[in-house]
Formats: sequence, structure tokens, C-alpha cells
Amino acid sequence: MSVQIEFDSSWQDDFLHRIEHDGPWGNWELFKLAIGVENHLVIPEFEGLMAPSHLSNLTPLPHQLETAKQVIENMNGKAILADEVGLGKTIEAGLILKEYMIRGLVKKVLILVPASLVTQWAIELNSKFFIPAITQRKSYVWEQCDIVVSSIDTAKRNPHREIIYKQDYDLIIIDEAHKLKNNKTKNYEFVQNLKKKFCLLLTATPIQNRIEEIFNLVSLLKPGHLGSETSFYEKYKRDARSLNDDEHLKELVNKVMIRNRRADTGIEWTKRHVETIPIEFSAAERDLYESVTALKSEGDWVQASSFSVMTLQREACSSREAVFYTLKNMLQKKENPTPAFENQIQYLIKKVEAVGQNSKAEKALELIQKVDDKVIIFTEYRATQMYLQWFLKQHGISSVPFRGGFKRGKKDWMRELFQKHAQVLIATEAGGEGINLQFCNHIINFDLPWNPMRLEQRIGRIHRLGQEKDVMIYNFAIRNTVEEHILKLLYEKIELFERVIGELDDILTKLEFGNIEDHLIDIFGQSASEGEMRIKMENLSSMIEFAEGMKKGESHAAAGNS
Amino acid sequence: MQQQEIHNFLLNYFQANECPILENHPGYITIQLTIELDKELMNRPFYWHYLEKTGGIPNPMSLTFITNKEEAPEKLKGEIIHFGSPRLHQIFDSTKSLSRYIRLYENHQYHNSQTPLLPWLCMNVKISYQCDRKRDVFKSIGLQLINGQMVENFHDRLQQITLTPKIPDYSFTLSPLVKPKSGMSRIENYLRSVIEGEEHSWAEEARMRWNQDLRLLDHFYEDVEEENESYSTEKKALQEQYEPKINISFINGGLFYLTEKAI
Repeated sequence: MSVQIEFDSSWQDDFLHRIEHDGPWGNWELFKLAIGVENHLVIPEFEGLMAPSHLSNLTPLPHQLETAKQVIENMNGKAILADEVGLGKTIEAGLILKEYMIRGLVKKVLILVPASLVTQWAIELNSKFFIPAITQRKSYVWEQCDIVVSSIDTAKRNPHREIIYKQDYDLIIIDEAHKLKNNKTKNYEFVQNLKKKFCLLLTATPIQNRIEEIFNLVSLLKPGHLGSETSFYEKYKRDARSLNDDEHLKELVNKVMIRNRRADTGIEWTKRHVETIPIEFSAAERDLYESVTALKSEGDWVQASSFSVMTLQREACSSREAVFYTLKNMLQKKENPTPAFENQIQYLIKKVEAVGQNSKAEKALELIQKVDDKVIIFTEYRATQMYLQWFLKQHGISSVPFRGGFKRGKKDWMRELFQKHAQVLIATEAGGEGINLQFCNHIINFDLPWNPMRLEQRIGRIHRLGQEKDVMIYNFAIRNTVEEHILKLLYEKIELFERVIGELDDILTKLEFGNIEDHLIDIFGQSASEGEMRIKMENLSSMIEFAEGMKKGESHAAAGNS
Repeated sequence: MQQQEIHNFLLNYFQANECPILENHPGYITIQLTIELDKELMNRPFYWHYLEKTGGIPNPMSLTFITNKEEAPEKLKGEIIHFGSPRLHQIFDSTKSLSRYIRLYENHQYHNSQTPLLPWLCMNVKISYQCDRKRDVFKSIGLQLINGQMVENFHDRLQQITLTPKIPDYSFTLSPLVKPKSGMSRIENYLRSVIEGEEHSWAEEARMRWNQDLRLLDHFYEDVEEENESYSTEKKALQEQYEPKINISFINGGLFYLTEKAI
């Protein structure tokens, strides 16, 4: 087979001119150095990476090297890295970036990550990869620095956006890219308009088998590759979930996405120990819970959806502060409240005031004192968070709060305070994502989220690469409440806590019945009797078990490496 | 290239360019640039233009490079240099461009009689086999311009010989029978024939991968009838990604006058 050979002869005249005019001639030392440089830059084989041999501070794991190799050799630098949580996507992205920089193919880079991870990304790139990444703090940074790390929320706002649009990026890396599944959002539009040569999308959530998500993410990587949006949807009905049936789509997904699974990496993971701690309400707490529950039967309790009753029930299991906060809000938001409504609220507030202790908080205190090590407490409610901080302080235990809404600097600071000074970190749900706390190995689930994925994310904060000890998880559940039901009937049944991270999201994506949370609201809200509820819960857990069976039986569309 | 090698490389580069080394410590070096190197590296043409117009006193910059952050003083201001950093690439490029052509004589020790020196044309090239992947081969070819003898690994052989930019005493050069220009095409033809004789299964495999991707692309456009702009852009992008080609690029070269026994 013949291959076209291009011979660069642009230098010939220059050379001949110097021969004719006897110079000017170069310096022999530099001449030799140039050859030395060239020998360093030569790519000796079609396959293989050069970066690892230049990284003395890093020993990448085999699956990380393999991923970087795939992206560079087979995917032309356009890929979705969808490893399960905690397998080191940052390292993979760093390897790819480094490799391209060594090959001289990448110079200008934009890295968009959640605000809480900006500093961490920059530190890792600098220390592990010798890549001088700068965190964006001033607007001139976009133009003057080659490698910038920023949060997408900052980047998409003016004046930054206008400046960024003017840059030609060689590589763009986006962490937590599952937030770009919807092409109607500002974030999506922003990323779509960036000028880029290579692009890496990092996400812990696999592309769920939804045509729309595939279209949107692939269109970011390879605009136009799937044809126009309309013709694409004509072919594959928008909500169809027929990915597995379509060879072409399957092939395409394998061409742009790599998903390493924990089980395939062969890495020894530390164990998880799960302990459920049942807690008894005090009389006053029980009274509050029952009063809230009774609202359900007060048929016309002014538009009170089963949802808000459920919320109050769950809050009553967390803290009286959480209940109080919601009640106050309900009253304020109500336009022209009827006297009956006001009375009802006032009645409940009286019940709140009657509660003198928090049984869970006391248990938590006891546990923290016993553990005598760093502990993370997760709660769903801010009011509980504030109460706990106050409560622990009363007993001489230092704690720091953590919320998703914190600015980047504050998050970094809180993380550092926790690592160096405080014993306890109290995080609300939003704090669950995007912060790595491997130095701690105890988690208290003060109350339980209804979306099992959120539990996964909580645990994923500490059970990840770099965790050296076994992870202890304590689940608090008040006896004879919705909380205990969900823990006993669902989470324990599907062995949620024993699963390795990432396994569950696979299983859940197999289920075609939508959001688990909605099902739970339906079960608890609409069931007429305890018995009905039990049966419905049984059904739900059987469905999940069924999906698990399906998963075992087949190989995945997104089985990673081709 | 490990950080220590980078450190040594920088030292060699600046010394070869006659820049005073102000500081040289483990982890960092500080260099006083010469006017030439300031122009070469600092990218401030306006400053130099202004200076030349006004006749001011030139003030070339000094640079600090940190080659190991852990060993350098904490407060030290400087550029962190790593393999892959744009600054290092710039210096690599400059190394190549500053000394592309050279002429040297063998510094022989035959002082008893007049010694003839034979002209050799040397070309150092990089052959890049390129498709969606890439492989490079470095080749150094020497061609004797009297009898047409061609030698590979010429650069390595030169390392065994002491060379000097001035013609040594008791020496005279023979003038080439092969003109340098035709010498260059001889080397080009030699390289072409060597490459053509190689086995190119890599190119075949690349064409197969290319076709596979084309089929996939076609599938998504099979219902679109009229000429479609994004289809042709995508198709072109695939061509750029996969089409196998071989580039021979010139690194540097020169004329070497060597004794008969040297090679």
C-alpha cells in the first residue's frame, strides 16, 4: 500500500545560501542540544504514553493509564470519562493533558469544575503533573494564563464569558459533566460555544440509556456528528430507551465513552462497616411526630399535599428546629391564611416547643465521644445542621458546617479547618458532592435521604482512592417512623450500604420506572394502611432486585473499552 | 526528561548562548539574558524597537526558572518549568532554530604533512508516520560529496570526532564533486526509497478505522438527502484524523570536513 510522503524542503535554499556565502554558521553545542531535544520529543511507537516516565511524583494505576491511552489513541482526545466514583478521573484527565502538552499539541487549556474542587484540581495538577494550572481569581487570567481552573458558574457570567469566547482552547476539561445533559440550560449553551480542539467530559453518572442525553453529550464532543437534532429524533424517538437494541448507537457510545468499574480495577478497597442505630423518641418527640402524622387524616388540611406532611414527618425525625422552620415558612408563604390553618400551625408549634431534648443528637454525641476520631455528620436540613453545631459546642466538641452554597474559598477553608482543627464536620445534602474527605473514615447519617444515589454520594466522599482505613457508617433511625420503614424495608433489603460505590447507579438506570423518591412519596403518602405500605415497599425492593438480576445477566452498552 | 535533566538542559542552552548564569542551585537557576536571547525568548518587539529608535541603554531581562519546587526557596519568584510546559517548548524550538546549519572541520593531529579533508553533507531529519496515531523516527544521514558514500547514524559517529569551526593547520579541503544541492536530493531519494520499502500495515489499519467511522457517520445521515454542510465538515474532520501520511521534516544539518579515516 502506498502512502503519501511529504518531504519538507523549505530549508534547502536557506542552507545553500549559507554554503555559498560561507555562513553564518551555528554553534556546535546548540546543534547537539537540538538533536538531544529531538530525541526526547520523538514518539517511538504508535502506541503508548510518554507522560508517565516524566512524572516522578505519581504512579498511575493500570486502569488510569489504559484510559489515557484509549483517549489519545482511539478517541482523538474527545471523550466522556465516566468511571465509577472514586477511581481517579482527575488523574486520568491529568495524564491526558500532560501527554498532549508533551507532544506539543496542547497549550491553552480551560478546566471547569465544581467550585469546591477548583483549588484541589489546581493543586493536583501542579504537584502531581508539574502542570502550572492557575485558579481563576482575576478576569485577566483568562487571556494571560495558559491553563486555568474555574467553576462553570463563574466562567459563564460576564465579563468572563465574553473574554472566554474569544479564546481558542486546545483542550477543555469539564468535571461533573452530567449537569450538561440538558441542552436547554445556560451551562450547556456556554460549553457549546467554546472554541476547542480536544474535550474531556468527566462524570460519575454513566450516560443513562437515554437517547436525549447521548445526543446532547456527544454533540458537545463532536458537533454535527449525529446529524441534526430533528432528524436524529425522528430516527430515535425522543424518549425511547432502545439504546441497547441499536448497534450504531452502541458503537458510537463505545467510541466516545470509557467507564471503568471498581470491580474491574483489581484494586483492594477498604471495607465498609454499616451499623444501624435504632433510637427511641422521648415522649414529647413522639407526640410531635404523631401530631404531624395525624395531619394526613385531616382530609382538608388546606391543600396540604401528602408531600408536605411527609416532609414534616421526616423533619420530626431529625430535629424540632427543622420542623419549626418549615412550619414558620408555611405560615409566611400562605396568602390569607384561614384561622383554622393558623390554629393548626400554632398547635404544632406548641408541640415543637414542648420538645426538650433531641434523642438523636444525644446518641450522636455519645458516639462521637466513643469514636474519638474525625466524624462527618450528614443531615438533610439546615436547621438541624445549625442546631447540631450549637449542641456539640455545648459539650466541648468542635465542629465546622459545610454546605453546597458556600463559596469556593469558604469550602476550602472549612475542609482545612476540619482536617486540622475540628473533630466533626456537619454537612447538608448539597455539601455531599464535590468534596473529598479521605482523611476521615466515620460517617453518621443523622437522617436518611430518600434518593439512594445521594447516600452513595455521601459515602463516596470518604470511601474512595486514598482511604486507608475501613469506613464506618452509622445510620440513625427512629423506631416506628417513616425513617425506620425506609431503612428496614428498602435500604437494608437491597443491601444498599454493603454495595460498592457505583453499583447502585447501574442498577437504578436499568429500572424504567423513574425516580425512586417519587415512588417513596407515593408509598408513604397514599397508602391507606400499614399493610398496604409494606406490600408496596416489598414491590419496590423486588423491582430493584430484579433489575440487579438483569444487570448480572447481560453486558452493558457502555462496557467501556472497545 | 526528568526535572534534573531539564535543569541541565537549560544550563547548557543558556551557556551555549553566552548568557551569564547568575544563580545555579538545586531546584532553580537565574539567568541574565543577552540582548539576542531577550529578543529570541521574551517576545517584546516594541521595547526593542523603541530602544533602537531612541538610542536608549538596552536592559535585557533576567529570568529565574524553578525546576524543582520542593528544593527551591519557598518565596522565590520564577517560572516553573516542566516537561510539557510552553516555555520549555519555546526553548526547544529556539534551540533548533538558532543552530540549524553548521560547518565544522575535524581537529586532527596529523601535523607532519598537509592533510586533505573530505566534505560531508549531513542531514538530520524526523520521519513522522501519521494517522490518528503517530510515530517518529529520527535519522541522521551523512553523504560524502566526493565518492557519494552514504552513512546512517552520522550524528552518533560525529560524537567520536573532535571538531572545530576553524580549519586546522596543515589541512586543506577537497572541493565537492557532488554539488550540495544534488546531495540533498540524493538523501531525499534515499529516504523515500527506504520508506517505500517498509511495511505499512499501520496505514492499512488506519484506513480500516477510518472507513468504520465513515460508515457510522453515514448511518446518522442516511435519511438526509440534500448536500449537508455539517456532514461534509464531519467527513473532512475524519479525513484529517485518520488519513495516513508520512512527513519528513528537517531538524538541522551542515557541512563537515573530515579526514579520510574519520568515518
